[in-house]
Amino acid sequence: MSTDETQYVAAHVQEALARDQRVNEPELAVTVVKGRVVVSGHVPSEERREAVTQVVRECCPDLEVENRTSVARFPEADGMETVQ
Amino acid sequence: MIRVAAAGDLHVAPDSAPALGEQLAAVGDKADVLLIAGDLTKSGRVEEATALAGELRGLSLPVVAVLGNHDHHGDRPNEIAEVLRDVGVWVLEGDTVRIDTPGGSVGVAGVKGFGGGFAGASGAEFGEPEMKAFIRHTKERSEALEAALHGLDADVRIALMHYAPVRETLQGEPLEIFPFLGSYLLAEAVDRAGADLVIHGHAHRGSEHGVTPGGVNVRNVAQTVIRRAYSVYGFEQPGSGRGTATIGAATDGRGIAPTRPPADR
Repeated sequence: MSTDETQYVAAHVQEALARDQRVNEPELAVTVVKGRVVVSGHVPSEERREAVTQVVRECCPDLEVENRTSVARFPEADGMETVQ
Repeated sequence: MIRVAAAGDLHVAPDSAPALGEQLAAVGDKADVLLIAGDLTKSGRVEEATALAGELRGLSLPVVAVLGNHDHHGDRPNEIAEVLRDVGVWVLEGDTVRIDTPGGSVGVAGVKGFGGGFAGASGAEFGEPEMKAFIRHTKERSEALEAALHGLDADVRIALMHYAPVRETLQGEPLEIFPFLGSYLLAEAVDRAGADLVIHGHAHRGSEHGVTPGGVNVRNVAQTVIRRAYSVYGFEQPGSGRGTATIGAATDGRGIAPTRPPADR
């Protein structure tokens, strides 16, 4: 697969991550580098993070998956901005 | 001081609802009202809204929300809104709510909004029916927002939406997708009608701070942008002492049921 053609793979994976109801995260970033599908961004749970790997594997059984997504754990607000 | 907490893009499903509940546990101590800027659910399924409602039910402050594109994915936005209204959340779409707080009244006008791009790089209602429908939807939502804001009387007036009204709060997102993230028409509506603050979400890789061409502050509160469960914005305003909470008349029949007072908050 040429470098140019990998962009099609990345686009199809992004579509799958948006549409597959195990994930439904169209905002994740997807690139294909040297035979590896790299996905990054935040997901709200460990279940959804694991589902990212599953969906990409089903999409691209011949490629390695590098799941760089992280489970978002946001702290409470620690201050206040005064709006003028 | 009026304290407004705001967050967006919660993407809640049963797997993530308990964590959100923990994040919001103390928001009632830190703010007078909580605004949620859309994408309340992962994919617009009623079970996801039910999980979220279970976490919002016990909060000790008023909650006002608009729906986002994720909440429409399951084609059941009215049911999503109803599940949340049943636990006392005001879900706005082209209408308003005013809430009195110890520091004064907060008025919120809410719409989902939509895309189309920004001045100099925006779509027009031209060409194929699909393209015309795309831009027409943005125009309709922007007009609904402007009408709602015109009818909003409060010490602090806030425009709440999911899509972005300015490009500044999209900085960090790929330039190519700006037309899918927001529209200048939303900012124009705000500048025509006036507001003290615009709250939006949707742009996960964007920036928190922006301003409309007319000078209204804009804040992108997508959780991945603010990197907190919510942000708190303070306003120095005298109290007005008016009522407790009033609901503005729905301004359109777009499909979301008109807002009604929550049962018990």
